[in-house]
Amino acid sequence: MSGQTAIRIEQLGKRFGAGPLVLDDVNLSVGAGEFVCLLGASGCGKSTLLNLIAGLDRPTTGTIDVPAEGAAVMFQESALMPWLTARQNVELALRLRGVARSARRGEALELLDTVNLADAAEKRPHELSGGMRQRVALARALAQDRPVLLMDEPFAALDAITRDLLHEELERVWRRTGRTIVFVTHNVREAARLGQRVVLLSSRPGRVAGEWRIAETSGRRIESPEVAALSIEITEQLRKEIRRNAA
Amino acid sequence: MPHDENSTAGRVATQERIETLEADTEIPAPDLDTRPPSSGATRQANDDLRSLEAGLDRLQTDPEHAPRAWQRFTTSVLPPILFVLALIAAWQLYVVIAQPRPDIVPGPLDVLAAMSQAWESGRLQTAVLTSLERGVVGFLIAVVVGTPLGLLLAEVKPLRRAVGPIISGLQVLPSVAWVPAAILWFGLTDATVYFVVLMGATPSIVNGLIAGVEQVPPQLRRVGTVLGAGRTRLATLVVLPAALPGYVAGLKQGWAFSWRSLMAAEIIAVGGTIGFGLGSMLQQSRELADIGGVLAAVLVILFIGILIELVFFAPLERRMLRRRGLLGGTR
Repeated sequence: MSGQTAIRIEQLGKRFGAGPLVLDDVNLSVGAGEFVCLLGASGCGKSTLLNLIAGLDRPTTGTIDVPAEGAAVMFQESALMPWLTARQNVELALRLRGVARSARRGEALELLDTVNLADAAEKRPHELSGGMRQRVALARALAQDRPVLLMDEPFAALDAITRDLLHEELERVWRRTGRTIVFVTHNVREAARLGQRVVLLSSRPGRVAGEWRIAETSGRRIESPEVAALSIEITEQLRKEIRRNAA
Repeated sequence: MPHDENSTAGRVATQERIETLEADTEIPAPDLDTRPPSSGATRQANDDLRSLEAGLDRLQTDPEHAPRAWQRFTTSVLPPILFVLALIAAWQLYVVIAQPRPDIVPGPLDVLAAMSQAWESGRLQTAVLTSLERGVVGFLIAVVVGTPLGLLLAEVKPLRRAVGPIISGLQVLPSVAWVPAAILWFGLTDATVYFVVLMGATPSIVNGLIAGVEQVPPQLRRVGTVLGAGRTRLATLVVLPAALPGYVAGLKQGWAFSWRSLMAAEIIAVGGTIGFGLGSMLQQSRELADIGGVLAAVLVILFIGILIELVFFAPLERRMLRRRGLLGGTR
Protein backbone atom coordinates (compact mmCIF):
# COMPACT_ATOMS: atom_id res chain seq x y z
CA MET A 1 0.00 0.00 0.00
CA SER A 2 2.65 2.49 1.05
CA GLY A 3 4.04 4.61 -1.69
CA GLN A 4 0.90 4.39 -3.77
CA THR A 5 -1.05 7.46 -4.69
CA ALA A 6 -4.48 7.71 -3.07
CA ILE A 7 -5.62 11.01 -4.53
CA ARG A 8 -4.31 12.58 -7.72
CA ILE A 9 -5.48 16.02 -8.74
CA GLU A 10 -4.38 17.40 -12.10
CA GLN A 11 -4.87 20.88 -13.51
CA LEU A 12 -8.02 21.27 -11.52
CA GLY A 13 -10.11 24.37 -12.09
CA LYS A 14 -13.45 25.29 -10.61
CA ARG A 15 -15.81 28.17 -11.14
CA PHE A 16 -19.40 28.47 -10.00
CA GLY A 17 -21.66 29.51 -12.85
CA ALA A 18 -20.28 32.63 -14.48
CA GLY A 19 -18.48 33.72 -11.30
CA PRO A 20 -14.72 34.16 -10.89
CA LEU A 21 -12.35 31.22 -10.80
CA VAL A 22 -12.34 29.67 -7.34
CA LEU A 23 -9.62 27.12 -8.02
CA ASP A 24 -7.06 27.46 -10.77
CA ASP A 25 -4.64 24.84 -12.01
CA VAL A 26 -4.39 22.92 -8.76
CA ASN A 27 -2.04 19.94 -8.92
CA LEU A 28 -1.68 17.71 -5.93
CA SER A 29 -1.19 14.09 -5.20
CA VAL A 30 -1.61 12.47 -1.85
CA GLY A 31 0.06 9.18 -1.03
CA ALA A 32 -1.86 6.32 0.50
CA GLY A 33 -1.80 6.68 4.27
CA GLU A 34 -0.50 10.23 4.11
CA PHE A 35 -1.74 13.03 6.39
CA VAL A 36 -1.99 16.24 4.37
CA CYS A 37 -3.17 19.57 5.70
CA LEU A 38 -4.67 22.04 3.24
CA LEU A 39 -4.10 25.49 4.59
CA GLY A 40 -5.34 28.83 3.36
CA ALA A 41 -7.03 32.10 4.22
CA SER A 42 -10.74 32.57 3.77
CA GLY A 43 -11.89 32.39 0.19
CA CYS A 44 -9.01 30.23 -1.00
CA GLY A 45 -11.41 27.51 -2.04
CA LYS A 46 -10.13 24.88 0.36
CA SER A 47 -13.61 23.70 1.22
CA THR A 48 -14.48 23.73 -2.47
CA LEU A 49 -11.46 21.57 -3.14
CA LEU A 50 -12.51 19.17 -0.43
CA ASN A 51 -16.05 18.95 -1.78
CA LEU A 52 -14.61 18.18 -5.20
CA ILE A 53 -12.46 15.39 -3.78
CA ALA A 54 -15.49 14.10 -1.87
CA GLY A 55 -17.46 14.00 -5.11
CA LEU A 56 -20.08 16.39 -3.75
CA ASP A 57 -19.34 18.74 -6.63
CA ARG A 58 -17.83 18.50 -10.11
CA PRO A 59 -14.69 20.20 -11.38
CA THR A 60 -14.98 22.72 -14.21
CA THR A 61 -11.67 21.63 -15.69
CA GLY A 62 -9.02 19.04 -14.86
CA THR A 63 -9.30 15.67 -13.22
CA ILE A 64 -9.48 14.16 -9.77
CA ASP A 65 -8.67 10.52 -9.15
CA VAL A 66 -9.81 9.08 -5.86
CA PRO A 67 -10.03 5.46 -4.75
CA ALA A 68 -13.07 3.69 -6.15
CA GLU A 69 -14.45 3.17 -2.64
CA GLY A 70 -14.76 6.92 -2.27
CA ALA A 71 -14.03 9.07 0.73
CA ALA A 72 -15.50 9.65 4.15
CA VAL A 73 -16.12 13.27 5.09
CA MET A 74 -16.21 15.11 8.38
CA PHE A 75 -17.54 18.66 8.55
CA GLN A 76 -17.06 21.58 10.89
CA GLU A 77 -20.45 20.85 12.42
CA SER A 78 -20.76 17.31 13.66
CA ALA A 79 -24.10 17.07 11.78
CA LEU A 80 -25.22 14.12 13.86
CA MET A 81 -28.83 13.07 13.50
CA PRO A 82 -30.44 14.63 16.58
CA TRP A 83 -33.04 11.89 16.98
CA LEU A 84 -30.47 9.10 17.16
CA THR A 85 -28.13 8.18 20.00
CA ALA A 86 -24.37 8.26 19.48
CA ARG A 87 -24.40 4.52 18.80
CA GLN A 88 -27.33 4.76 16.40
CA ASN A 89 -25.59 7.55 14.51
CA VAL A 90 -22.60 5.30 13.94
CA GLU A 91 -24.94 2.42 13.12
CA LEU A 92 -26.60 4.54 10.46
CA ALA A 93 -23.28 4.80 8.64
CA LEU A 94 -22.78 1.04 8.98
CA ARG A 95 -26.28 0.40 7.68
CA LEU A 96 -25.74 2.63 4.66
CA ARG A 97 -22.47 0.79 4.06
CA GLY A 98 -24.44 -2.46 3.95
CA VAL A 99 -23.29 -4.04 7.22
CA ALA A 100 -25.68 -6.76 8.41
CA ARG A 101 -28.05 -5.72 11.18
CA SER A 102 -26.66 -8.24 13.66
CA ALA A 103 -23.10 -6.97 13.30
CA ARG A 104 -23.91 -3.27 13.53
CA ARG A 105 -24.28 -2.86 17.25
CA GLY A 106 -20.98 -4.48 18.18
CA GLU A 107 -19.06 -2.70 15.47
CA ALA A 108 -20.58 0.67 16.42
CA LEU A 109 -19.60 0.19 20.07
CA GLU A 110 -16.10 -0.76 19.02
CA LEU A 111 -15.78 2.37 16.90
CA LEU A 112 -17.08 4.53 19.73
CA ASP A 113 -14.50 2.94 21.98
CA THR A 114 -11.84 3.90 19.45
CA VAL A 115 -12.66 7.54 20.16
CA ASN A 116 -13.02 6.89 23.91
CA LEU A 117 -16.77 7.29 23.91
CA ALA A 118 -17.96 3.82 24.87
CA ASP A 119 -19.68 5.22 27.95
CA ALA A 120 -21.65 7.78 25.99
CA ALA A 121 -23.01 5.34 23.42
CA GLU A 122 -26.63 5.73 24.51
CA LYS A 123 -26.52 9.51 24.79
CA ARG A 124 -28.16 11.75 22.23
CA PRO A 125 -26.22 14.51 20.48
CA HIS A 126 -27.68 17.32 22.57
CA GLU A 127 -26.41 15.62 25.72
CA LEU A 128 -22.83 15.60 24.41
CA SER A 129 -20.27 18.40 24.45
CA GLY A 130 -18.97 19.83 21.18
CA GLY A 131 -15.80 17.77 21.39
CA MET A 132 -17.70 14.59 22.09
CA ARG A 133 -20.00 15.24 19.14
CA GLN A 134 -17.02 15.64 16.85
CA ARG A 135 -15.61 12.38 18.16
CA VAL A 136 -18.91 10.65 17.39
CA ALA A 137 -18.70 12.21 13.92
CA LEU A 138 -15.16 10.82 13.63
CA ALA A 139 -16.38 7.38 14.67
CA ARG A 140 -19.15 7.68 12.09
CA ALA A 141 -16.64 8.65 9.41
CA LEU A 142 -14.49 5.66 10.38
CA ALA A 143 -17.59 3.47 10.17
CA GLN A 144 -17.75 4.22 6.47
CA ASP A 145 -14.53 2.27 6.16
CA ARG A 146 -13.19 4.26 3.24
CA PRO A 147 -9.45 4.52 2.66
CA VAL A 148 -9.62 8.31 2.49
CA LEU A 149 -10.87 10.60 5.23
CA LEU A 150 -11.60 14.22 4.31
CA MET A 151 -11.94 16.70 7.13
CA ASP A 152 -13.29 20.22 6.65
CA GLU A 153 -12.16 22.32 9.61
CA PRO A 154 -13.58 19.74 11.98
CA PHE A 155 -12.18 21.33 15.14
CA ALA A 156 -12.63 25.00 14.27
CA ALA A 157 -15.61 25.49 16.55
CA LEU A 158 -14.04 23.86 19.60
CA ASP A 159 -12.28 25.42 22.55
CA ALA A 160 -8.48 25.21 22.65
CA ILE A 161 -8.24 22.52 25.33
CA THR A 162 -10.68 20.24 23.57
CA ARG A 163 -9.01 20.89 20.23
CA ASP A 164 -5.61 19.85 21.63
CA LEU A 165 -7.06 16.59 22.84
CA LEU A 166 -8.79 15.93 19.56
CA HIS A 167 -5.50 16.52 17.73
CA GLU A 168 -3.96 13.75 19.80
CA GLU A 169 -7.00 11.57 19.29
CA LEU A 170 -6.96 12.07 15.53
CA GLU A 171 -3.24 11.40 15.31
CA ARG A 172 -3.69 8.19 17.26
CA VAL A 173 -6.59 7.08 15.06
CA TRP A 174 -4.56 7.89 11.95
CA ARG A 175 -1.59 5.86 13.13
CA ARG A 176 -3.82 2.96 14.08
CA THR A 177 -5.95 2.83 10.98
CA GLY A 178 -3.53 3.96 8.29
CA ARG A 179 -6.14 6.15 6.65
CA THR A 180 -5.22 8.77 4.09
CA ILE A 181 -6.30 12.05 5.62
CA VAL A 182 -6.83 15.40 3.92
CA PHE A 183 -7.41 17.98 6.62
CA VAL A 184 -8.60 21.46 5.69
CA THR A 185 -7.91 24.28 8.12
CA HIS A 186 -7.21 27.99 8.31
CA ASN A 187 -5.25 27.50 11.51
CA VAL A 188 -1.53 27.49 10.75
CA ARG A 189 -0.53 25.89 14.03
CA GLU A 190 -3.10 23.18 13.65
CA ALA A 191 -1.70 22.37 10.22
CA ALA A 192 1.87 22.35 11.53
CA ARG A 193 0.83 20.21 14.47
CA LEU A 194 -1.04 17.57 12.50
CA GLY A 195 0.23 17.21 8.96
CA GLN A 196 3.02 15.17 7.45
CA ARG A 197 2.75 17.68 4.71
CA VAL A 198 1.23 21.15 4.73
CA VAL A 199 -0.07 22.52 1.45
CA LEU A 200 -0.65 26.27 1.34
CA LEU A 201 -3.35 27.54 -1.02
CA SER A 202 -3.35 31.11 -2.28
CA SER A 203 -6.63 32.99 -2.43
CA ARG A 204 -8.78 34.04 -5.39
CA PRO A 205 -8.14 31.96 -7.29
CA GLY A 206 -6.93 29.11 -5.13
CA ARG A 207 -3.59 27.73 -6.27
CA VAL A 208 -0.95 25.69 -4.51
CA ALA A 209 1.36 28.39 -3.14
CA GLY A 210 3.73 26.33 -1.06
CA GLU A 211 4.42 22.95 0.47
CA TRP A 212 6.15 21.89 3.63
CA ARG A 213 7.08 18.38 4.68
CA ILE A 214 7.53 17.44 8.26
CA ALA A 215 10.12 14.76 8.91
CA GLU A 216 9.41 13.80 12.47
CA THR A 217 5.71 13.63 13.16
CA SER A 218 5.55 11.68 16.40
CA GLY A 219 5.51 13.40 19.76
CA ARG A 220 4.43 16.76 18.35
CA ARG A 221 2.32 19.06 20.48
CA ILE A 222 0.73 22.36 19.59
CA GLU A 223 3.28 24.08 21.89
CA SER A 224 6.32 22.18 20.57
CA PRO A 225 9.14 24.48 19.38
CA GLU A 226 9.36 22.77 16.00
CA VAL A 227 5.63 23.30 15.45
CA ALA A 228 6.05 26.95 16.42
CA ALA A 229 9.05 27.39 14.11
CA LEU A 230 7.24 25.86 11.16
CA SER A 231 4.16 27.96 11.94
CA ILE A 232 6.21 31.12 11.70
CA GLU A 233 7.56 30.12 8.32
CA ILE A 234 4.18 29.18 6.98
CA THR A 235 2.55 32.29 8.38
CA GLU A 236 5.11 34.47 6.61
CA GLN A 237 4.34 32.84 3.32
CA LEU A 238 0.60 33.00 4.02
CA ARG A 239 0.81 36.73 4.73
CA LYS A 240 2.70 37.26 1.52
CA GLU A 241 -0.11 35.56 -0.33
CA ILE A 242 -2.75 37.62 1.44
CA ARG A 243 -0.89 40.88 0.76
CA ARG A 244 -0.94 40.08 -2.92
CA ASN A 245 -4.70 40.65 -2.79
CA ALA A 246 -4.29 44.20 -1.48
CA ALA A 247 -2.84 45.49 -4.74
CA MET B 1 7.11 8.26 -6.46
CA PRO B 2 4.29 10.54 -5.34
CA HIS B 3 6.84 12.84 -3.81
CA ASP B 4 8.44 13.64 -7.10
CA GLU B 5 5.08 14.56 -8.47
CA ASN B 6 4.38 16.68 -5.46
CA SER B 7 7.43 18.78 -5.93
CA THR B 8 6.32 19.65 -9.41
CA ALA B 9 2.78 20.29 -8.29
CA GLY B 10 2.50 23.97 -7.57
CA ARG B 11 5.37 26.09 -6.42
CA VAL B 12 7.16 24.32 -3.65
CA ALA B 13 8.57 26.71 -1.14
CA THR B 14 12.07 25.52 -0.47
CA GLN B 15 13.01 25.73 3.15
CA GLU B 16 16.21 24.50 4.62
CA ARG B 17 14.48 22.68 7.42
CA ILE B 18 12.33 20.59 5.18
CA GLU B 19 13.44 17.07 4.84
CA THR B 20 11.79 14.91 2.29
CA LEU B 21 11.27 11.45 3.56
CA GLU B 22 10.36 8.32 1.79
CA ALA B 23 6.68 7.64 2.24
CA ASP B 24 7.44 4.09 3.32
CA THR B 25 9.17 5.16 6.49
CA GLU B 26 6.60 7.76 7.40
CA ILE B 27 3.32 6.08 6.81
CA PRO B 28 2.03 3.57 9.32
CA ALA B 29 1.26 0.18 7.91
CA PRO B 30 -2.50 -0.23 7.49
CA ASP B 31 -2.46 -3.73 8.92
CA LEU B 32 -1.84 -2.28 12.39
CA ASP B 33 -5.55 -1.68 12.26
CA THR B 34 -6.89 -4.18 14.72
CA ARG B 35 -3.88 -4.84 16.85
CA PRO B 36 -3.74 -2.99 20.13
CA PRO B 37 -0.72 -0.78 20.57
CA SER B 38 2.06 -3.10 21.62
CA SER B 39 4.68 -1.01 23.31
CA GLY B 40 4.21 -0.03 26.90
CA ALA B 41 4.98 3.62 26.18
CA THR B 42 2.17 4.00 23.65
CA ARG B 43 -0.22 2.18 25.92
CA GLN B 44 0.71 4.55 28.70
CA ALA B 45 0.14 7.52 26.40
CA ASN B 46 -3.20 6.09 25.29
CA ASP B 47 -4.33 5.63 28.87
CA ASP B 48 -3.32 9.19 29.62
CA LEU B 49 -5.32 10.47 26.70
CA ARG B 50 -8.23 8.29 27.71
CA SER B 51 -8.44 9.58 31.25
CA LEU B 52 -7.84 13.15 30.11
CA GLU B 53 -10.68 12.89 27.65
CA ALA B 54 -12.97 11.23 30.18
CA GLY B 55 -12.28 14.07 32.63
CA LEU B 56 -12.98 16.74 30.03
CA ASP B 57 -16.14 14.98 28.91
CA ARG B 58 -17.36 14.92 32.48
CA LEU B 59 -16.62 18.63 32.87
CA GLN B 60 -18.35 19.60 29.68
CA THR B 61 -21.60 17.72 30.15
CA ASP B 62 -24.27 18.02 32.80
CA PRO B 63 -26.21 14.97 33.81
CA GLU B 64 -29.78 15.56 32.67
CA HIS B 65 -32.42 15.44 35.34
CA ALA B 66 -35.74 13.97 34.37
CA PRO B 67 -38.51 16.18 35.71
CA ARG B 68 -40.08 14.69 38.80
CA ALA B 69 -43.76 13.78 38.70
CA TRP B 70 -44.64 16.14 41.53
CA GLN B 71 -42.74 18.99 39.92
CA ARG B 72 -44.54 18.40 36.63
CA PHE B 73 -47.86 18.37 38.43
CA THR B 74 -47.25 21.69 40.15
CA THR B 75 -45.80 23.44 37.11
CA SER B 76 -47.98 22.24 34.26
CA VAL B 77 -51.11 20.49 35.58
CA LEU B 78 -52.09 22.58 38.56
CA PRO B 79 -52.14 26.12 37.03
CA PRO B 80 -54.81 25.46 34.37
CA ILE B 81 -56.97 23.53 36.85
CA LEU B 82 -56.81 26.42 39.31
CA PHE B 83 -57.66 28.86 36.54
CA VAL B 84 -60.74 26.87 35.46
CA LEU B 85 -61.93 26.60 39.05
CA ALA B 86 -61.52 30.35 39.45
CA LEU B 87 -63.48 30.91 36.24
CA ILE B 88 -66.36 28.73 37.45
CA ALA B 89 -66.33 30.47 40.81
CA ALA B 90 -66.53 33.87 39.11
CA TRP B 91 -69.38 32.65 36.93
CA GLN B 92 -71.31 31.37 39.95
CA LEU B 93 -70.64 34.60 41.81
CA TYR B 94 -71.99 36.62 38.89
CA VAL B 95 -75.15 34.52 38.73
CA VAL B 96 -75.72 34.87 42.49
CA ILE B 97 -75.08 38.63 42.56
CA ALA B 98 -76.56 39.84 39.26
CA GLN B 99 -79.45 37.35 39.16
CA PRO B 100 -79.71 37.23 35.31
CA ARG B 101 -82.61 35.45 33.58
CA PRO B 102 -81.88 31.73 33.98
CA ASP B 103 -83.11 30.98 30.45
CA ILE B 104 -80.37 33.28 29.06
CA VAL B 105 -77.52 33.01 31.55
CA PRO B 106 -77.73 29.78 33.50
CA GLY B 107 -75.42 29.14 36.43
CA PRO B 108 -72.76 26.45 36.48
CA LEU B 109 -75.07 24.21 38.45
CA ASP B 110 -77.82 24.47 35.79
CA VAL B 111 -75.33 23.45 33.13
CA LEU B 112 -74.16 20.57 35.29
CA ALA B 113 -77.77 19.50 35.74
CA ALA B 114 -78.35 19.60 31.96
CA MET B 115 -75.23 17.53 31.49
CA SER B 116 -76.25 14.87 33.99
CA GLN B 117 -79.73 14.79 32.49
CA ALA B 118 -78.24 14.08 29.07
CA TRP B 119 -76.05 11.44 30.67
CA GLU B 120 -78.98 9.71 32.36
CA SER B 121 -80.98 9.58 29.15
CA GLY B 122 -77.91 8.14 27.42
CA ARG B 123 -77.87 10.92 24.79
CA LEU B 124 -74.53 12.29 25.97
CA GLN B 125 -72.76 8.95 25.74
CA THR B 126 -74.17 8.26 22.27
CA ALA B 127 -73.23 11.74 21.07
CA VAL B 128 -69.70 11.59 22.46
CA LEU B 129 -69.05 8.13 21.07
CA THR B 130 -70.47 8.96 17.64
CA SER B 131 -68.54 12.20 17.36
CA LEU B 132 -65.28 10.76 18.68
CA GLU B 133 -65.47 7.81 16.33
CA ARG B 134 -66.10 10.05 13.33
CA GLY B 135 -63.51 12.54 14.41
CA VAL B 136 -60.84 9.89 14.85
CA VAL B 137 -61.70 7.94 11.70
CA GLY B 138 -61.96 11.14 9.66
CA PHE B 139 -58.62 12.33 11.04
CA LEU B 140 -56.95 9.01 10.25
CA ILE B 141 -58.27 9.16 6.68
CA ALA B 142 -56.86 12.69 6.43
CA VAL B 143 -53.48 11.41 7.70
CA VAL B 144 -53.46 8.60 5.15
CA VAL B 145 -54.30 11.03 2.35
CA GLY B 146 -52.22 13.96 3.58
CA THR B 147 -48.93 12.21 4.36
CA PRO B 148 -48.04 10.87 0.89
CA LEU B 149 -49.39 14.05 -0.66
CA GLY B 150 -47.20 16.16 1.63
CA LEU B 151 -44.13 14.04 0.92
CA LEU B 152 -44.72 14.24 -2.81
CA LEU B 153 -45.11 18.02 -2.71
CA ALA B 154 -42.10 18.44 -0.43
CA GLU B 155 -39.76 16.41 -2.62
CA VAL B 156 -40.98 17.43 -6.10
CA LYS B 157 -40.35 21.16 -6.38
CA PRO B 158 -42.29 21.99 -9.57
CA LEU B 159 -45.32 20.23 -8.19
CA ARG B 160 -45.07 22.18 -4.99
CA ARG B 161 -44.88 25.47 -6.87
CA ALA B 162 -48.06 24.56 -8.69
CA VAL B 163 -50.10 22.94 -5.92
CA GLY B 164 -48.63 24.52 -2.78
CA PRO B 165 -50.54 27.83 -2.89
CA ILE B 166 -53.82 26.02 -3.48
CA ILE B 167 -53.26 23.81 -0.46
CA SER B 168 -52.39 26.82 1.68
CA GLY B 169 -55.52 28.51 0.35
CA LEU B 170 -57.63 25.52 1.32
CA GLN B 171 -56.35 25.94 4.84
CA VAL B 172 -57.86 29.42 4.94
CA LEU B 173 -61.21 28.27 3.57
CA PRO B 174 -63.49 27.33 6.49
CA SER B 175 -64.40 23.72 5.88
CA VAL B 176 -68.03 24.47 6.82
CA ALA B 177 -68.21 25.99 3.37
CA TRP B 178 -68.05 22.45 1.98
CA VAL B 179 -71.14 21.28 3.88
CA PRO B 180 -73.80 22.40 1.34
CA ALA B 181 -71.85 20.89 -1.54
CA ALA B 182 -71.24 17.70 0.40
CA ILE B 183 -74.94 17.36 1.20
CA LEU B 184 -75.79 17.71 -2.48
CA TRP B 185 -73.15 15.15 -3.43
CA PHE B 186 -73.51 12.58 -0.69
CA GLY B 187 -76.90 13.34 0.81
CA LEU B 188 -77.47 13.23 4.56
CA THR B 189 -75.03 10.36 5.13
CA ASP B 190 -71.84 9.86 7.10
CA ALA B 191 -69.92 10.39 3.87
CA THR B 192 -70.86 14.06 4.03
CA VAL B 193 -69.36 14.36 7.50
CA TYR B 194 -66.17 12.52 6.53
CA PHE B 195 -65.76 14.62 3.41
CA VAL B 196 -65.96 17.85 5.39
CA VAL B 197 -63.50 16.55 8.00
CA LEU B 198 -61.12 15.45 5.25
CA MET B 199 -61.20 18.85 3.57
CA GLY B 200 -60.63 20.50 6.92
CA ALA B 201 -57.70 18.41 8.15
CA THR B 202 -55.72 17.42 5.06
CA PRO B 203 -54.29 20.87 4.19
CA SER B 204 -52.89 21.26 7.71
CA ILE B 205 -51.22 17.88 7.60
CA VAL B 206 -49.78 18.50 4.14
CA ASN B 207 -48.53 21.95 5.09
CA GLY B 208 -47.03 20.69 8.33
CA LEU B 209 -45.11 18.00 6.51
CA ILE B 210 -43.88 20.40 3.81
CA ALA B 211 -42.76 22.89 6.46
CA GLY B 212 -41.03 20.09 8.36
CA VAL B 213 -39.15 18.91 5.28
CA GLU B 214 -38.17 22.46 4.36
CA GLN B 215 -36.66 22.98 7.78
CA VAL B 216 -34.43 19.93 7.59
CA PRO B 217 -30.89 21.33 7.92
CA PRO B 218 -29.07 20.94 4.56
CA GLN B 219 -26.13 19.58 6.60
CA LEU B 220 -28.06 16.44 7.44
CA ARG B 221 -28.92 15.79 3.80
CA ARG B 222 -25.30 16.32 2.88
CA VAL B 223 -24.16 13.87 5.53
CA GLY B 224 -26.73 11.37 4.32
CA THR B 225 -25.35 11.66 0.80
CA VAL B 226 -21.78 11.36 2.00
CA LEU B 227 -22.71 8.25 3.99
CA GLY B 228 -23.96 6.74 0.77
CA ALA B 229 -27.73 7.08 0.96
CA GLY B 230 -29.61 7.11 -2.34
CA ARG B 231 -32.79 9.09 -2.93
CA THR B 232 -35.15 6.66 -1.22
CA ARG B 233 -33.01 5.90 1.80
CA LEU B 234 -32.19 9.58 2.19
CA ALA B 235 -35.93 10.26 2.38
CA THR B 236 -36.77 7.46 4.81
CA LEU B 237 -33.67 7.47 7.03
CA VAL B 238 -32.80 11.14 7.11
CA VAL B 239 -35.40 13.55 5.75
CA LEU B 240 -38.55 12.02 7.24
CA PRO B 241 -37.25 11.61 10.78
CA ALA B 242 -35.68 15.05 10.62
CA ALA B 243 -39.01 16.51 9.50
CA LEU B 244 -40.93 14.82 12.29
CA PRO B 245 -41.38 17.90 14.52
CA GLY B 246 -43.05 19.82 11.70
CA TYR B 247 -45.13 16.81 10.78
CA VAL B 248 -46.36 16.33 14.34
CA ALA B 249 -47.23 20.03 14.56
CA GLY B 250 -49.21 19.57 11.34
CA LEU B 251 -50.97 16.52 12.75
CA LYS B 252 -51.89 18.43 15.87
CA GLN B 253 -53.36 21.24 13.85
CA GLY B 254 -55.01 18.70 11.56
CA TRP B 255 -56.77 17.14 14.53
CA ALA B 256 -57.99 20.54 15.70
CA PHE B 257 -59.36 21.22 12.22
CA SER B 258 -60.94 17.76 12.07
CA TRP B 259 -62.77 18.29 15.32
CA ARG B 260 -63.95 21.77 14.37
CA SER B 261 -65.10 20.71 10.91
CA LEU B 262 -66.89 17.74 12.38
CA MET B 263 -68.85 19.90 14.79
CA ALA B 264 -69.76 22.34 12.03
CA ALA B 265 -70.92 19.51 9.80
CA GLU B 266 -72.96 17.92 12.58
CA ILE B 267 -74.70 21.17 13.43
CA ILE B 268 -75.69 21.88 9.85
CA ALA B 269 -76.38 18.39 8.54
CA VAL B 270 -78.97 16.75 10.75
CA GLY B 271 -81.26 13.86 9.83
CA GLY B 272 -81.05 11.22 7.14
CA THR B 273 -78.70 8.41 8.08
CA ILE B 274 -76.35 10.78 9.89
CA GLY B 275 -75.91 9.55 13.45
CA PHE B 276 -76.44 11.58 16.59
CA GLY B 277 -73.25 13.43 17.46
CA LEU B 278 -72.30 16.26 19.79
CA GLY B 279 -73.04 18.83 17.12
CA SER B 280 -76.49 17.32 16.65
CA MET B 281 -77.03 17.45 20.38
CA LEU B 282 -76.04 21.10 20.41
CA GLN B 283 -78.42 21.88 17.56
CA GLN B 284 -81.25 19.96 19.25
CA SER B 285 -80.81 21.92 22.48
CA ARG B 286 -80.92 25.16 20.52
CA GLU B 287 -84.20 24.14 18.92
CA LEU B 288 -85.59 23.45 22.38
CA ALA B 289 -84.29 26.85 23.57
CA ASP B 290 -82.45 24.91 26.28
CA ILE B 291 -79.49 27.18 27.03
CA GLY B 292 -78.25 24.86 29.77
CA GLY B 293 -78.10 22.01 27.25
CA VAL B 294 -76.37 24.25 24.68
CA LEU B 295 -73.67 25.30 27.10
CA ALA B 296 -73.29 21.75 28.34
CA ALA B 297 -72.69 20.55 24.78
CA VAL B 298 -70.20 23.38 24.12
CA LEU B 299 -68.29 22.47 27.27
CA VAL B 300 -68.21 18.78 26.37
CA ILE B 301 -66.93 19.60 22.86
CA LEU B 302 -64.23 21.82 24.33
CA PHE B 303 -63.34 19.28 26.98
CA ILE B 304 -62.88 16.46 24.47
CA GLY B 305 -60.73 18.68 22.26
CA ILE B 306 -58.50 19.54 25.21
CA LEU B 307 -58.43 15.94 26.43
CA ILE B 308 -57.18 14.55 23.11
CA GLU B 309 -54.53 17.25 22.99
CA LEU B 310 -53.43 16.52 26.56
CA VAL B 311 -53.40 12.73 26.54
CA PHE B 312 -52.21 12.18 22.99
CA PHE B 313 -50.47 15.05 21.22
CA ALA B 314 -48.81 16.82 24.12
CA PRO B 315 -46.91 13.75 25.43
CA LEU B 316 -45.99 12.73 21.89
CA GLU B 317 -44.62 16.16 21.11
CA ARG B 318 -42.87 16.55 24.45
CA ARG B 319 -41.17 13.19 24.15
CA MET B 320 -40.01 13.88 20.62
CA LEU B 321 -38.67 17.34 21.45
CA ARG B 322 -36.91 16.16 24.59
CA ARG B 323 -35.17 13.39 22.71
CA ARG B 324 -33.86 15.94 20.25
CA GLY B 325 -32.85 18.42 22.94
CA LEU B 326 -35.32 20.97 21.62
CA LEU B 327 -37.09 21.33 24.95
CA GLY B 328 -35.41 23.92 27.17
CA GLY B 329 -34.63 22.06 30.40
CA THR B 330 -37.58 20.78 32.36
CA ARG B 331 -39.84 23.77 31.89
